[in-house]
Amino acid sequence: MSINKSALAFASILLATTAIGTSAALAQAKVAIVTPYMAQPGTQFYVEAFEAVAAENDWDLNVIDTAGDVAAVISRMEDLVVQNVDAIVINVDPTQVSAGLQAASDAGIPVIGMDAGADPLLVTNVTSNGYAMAAETATYVADRIKGAGNVVMFVFEAFPPVQVRGVVADAVFGNYPDIEIIDRVTPDVSDGGIADSRAKMEAILAANPEPGSINAVWAAWDQPALGALQAIEAAGRSGEGIVITGIDANPQAREAIAAGGNFEASVAQDFTGIGTATAEAVARVLAGEEILQTVTYVPTKLVTAANAAE
Amino acid sequence: MQLFIRRYGTLIGFVAILAFFSIMLPGTFPTARNWLNISQQVSMLMVVAAGMTIVMVMGDFDLSVGSAASLAGIVAALMMVAGQPVWAAVAVALVVGLLGGAFNGAMVSLVGILPFIATLATMTMFSGLAFVVSGGKTISGRAIPEEFGNFARSGLPLGEWGGVAISLPNLSIIAIVVVLAVWVMLEQTTFGRRLYAIGGNVEAAYLSGINVRRLRLIAFSLTGLAAAAGGLMYASRVASANPVQGSGLMLNAIAAVFLGTTMSRHGEPRILATAVGVLVLGVLDNGLTQMSVDSYIRQVLVGGLILVAVGAGSVGQARR
Repeated sequence: MSINKSALAFASILLATTAIGTSAALAQAKVAIVTPYMAQPGTQFYVEAFEAVAAENDWDLNVIDTAGDVAAVISRMEDLVVQNVDAIVINVDPTQVSAGLQAASDAGIPVIGMDAGADPLLVTNVTSNGYAMAAETATYVADRIKGAGNVVMFVFEAFPPVQVRGVVADAVFGNYPDIEIIDRVTPDVSDGGIADSRAKMEAILAANPEPGSINAVWAAWDQPALGALQAIEAAGRSGEGIVITGIDANPQAREAIAAGGNFEASVAQDFTGIGTATAEAVARVLAGEEILQTVTYVPTKLVTAANAAE
Repeated sequence: MQLFIRRYGTLIGFVAILAFFSIMLPGTFPTARNWLNISQQVSMLMVVAAGMTIVMVMGDFDLSVGSAASLAGIVAALMMVAGQPVWAAVAVALVVGLLGGAFNGAMVSLVGILPFIATLATMTMFSGLAFVVSGGKTISGRAIPEEFGNFARSGLPLGEWGGVAISLPNLSIIAIVVVLAVWVMLEQTTFGRRLYAIGGNVEAAYLSGINVRRLRLIAFSLTGLAAAAGGLMYASRVASANPVQGSGLMLNAIAAVFLGTTMSRHGEPRILATAVGVLVLGVLDNGLTQMSVDSYIRQVLVGGLILVAVGAGSVGQARR
């Protein structure tokens, strides 16, 4: 009888311990996203994809939009540190919120960048691979002109994310002995880039009046590609088969590509994929895993007339 | 009783908010570390709102403070990019704010344009200037000297609290100094009393020999100076400058002053009441973030709170 009693007591203690154990395991992980840029379409895609993964993992997710106020991002990060959340996700240039990153780092709270920029205080930054994007369009151009011909490049060295694209395109074209870069143009971007690119392209067209003397225009982003397209159409040379490519696949570029003219291809970032990959990185950090890659790249997608309307 | 509620309703509301958050977030809200955070988070708004109080004492407005703050940040950042020392960049940016404020004052007091219209125009002008000189770009990264960004990240060490070293942030110290300076100026000097006289009855003030034009000019200049200081604090906090970053400060500063006016006897702005108004806004942001309340709901709550606070004051008066 007494054995039974003690067994009963023992069992109940075990049961209680298990109950405490499970309740601790059930405690939701607290995760927060802080962004000043919620109004931008890309950000909404990131966040929606992130929310889907958060719901699967049953995280207590807090999405904070500071409506353009970067200092408020720091303030909210400080609040989250005081609240001792399990992870913070930011979608803002990390050099502008380093005070908040420092506060999180001091408290041992991991911060993950969602297309934020590289920073030593970030566990990892999830973004698109600029090198890969440029390789997609440069190889598209090289293949379309069958590895031979004159190419005009529009580049921008002053902005690092765009500069890397030019480096990769140089390497791809350099691998074809019969491809010649006849001009490497840096347009004035103060008016958005289209107008000046158009003017520069008009000058190049005037300098190369022979039909077929220009085979392709490779642009490091969409605006110069659109400017080049306008110049070629205005000069009445759209029938020469000059291949134009851009990068970013903005709505105006997609429209031009879908129209089936000279502007043939661009590359789209996978915003949904970035949101999902960011959430997966958070899940790995919460599981105690150490992430060695300081940048996590999400594949991009070539946009041509076949899928521009998607 | 009605008088009591009208006079102290906002203060009671503030205490109720503090009590609510302290009960809901016992482990994190009423802690020294959190309050030092809040003091730093509201510091920029505190300085701009203190400046706003000076012109609102006369019954005037300054809608250009947000643009002036952005412009000051851009000017300082560009000077630092050009290799000028930090102190020179800060000094020039403050002078730009002072001159901008003086220009507002001249439009209002010498030309005689209504402050609402004059400062609406200069708000657009200052914002446009900030875009022109910066080319619309954000100035950040290595272009900004480290010591400028580090200023907002350091403070006066206060020792240890719960095993963590805590300090009074530099930005909080500036805010406290500015509030004290404005308090002395408005409450302890003839200059301040004359501003209140203008706010009470501008005709009577003029007839009693107060140089209304000159005082308005000075008051608007000081508001511009405070806006520039707030803009520099903001730029230091984010270690960068962009041509729109101060724009959110203007409406919040006016909201804080209005919240404050519900605490004074005749509904006139008082600097310490403004400070409470700023704290109400800051505490709501801090506490609701910690309670994971949607950031859009926060905006609705803040707007509603202003209506309730100001409304509670008006209802009693309308009866008479």
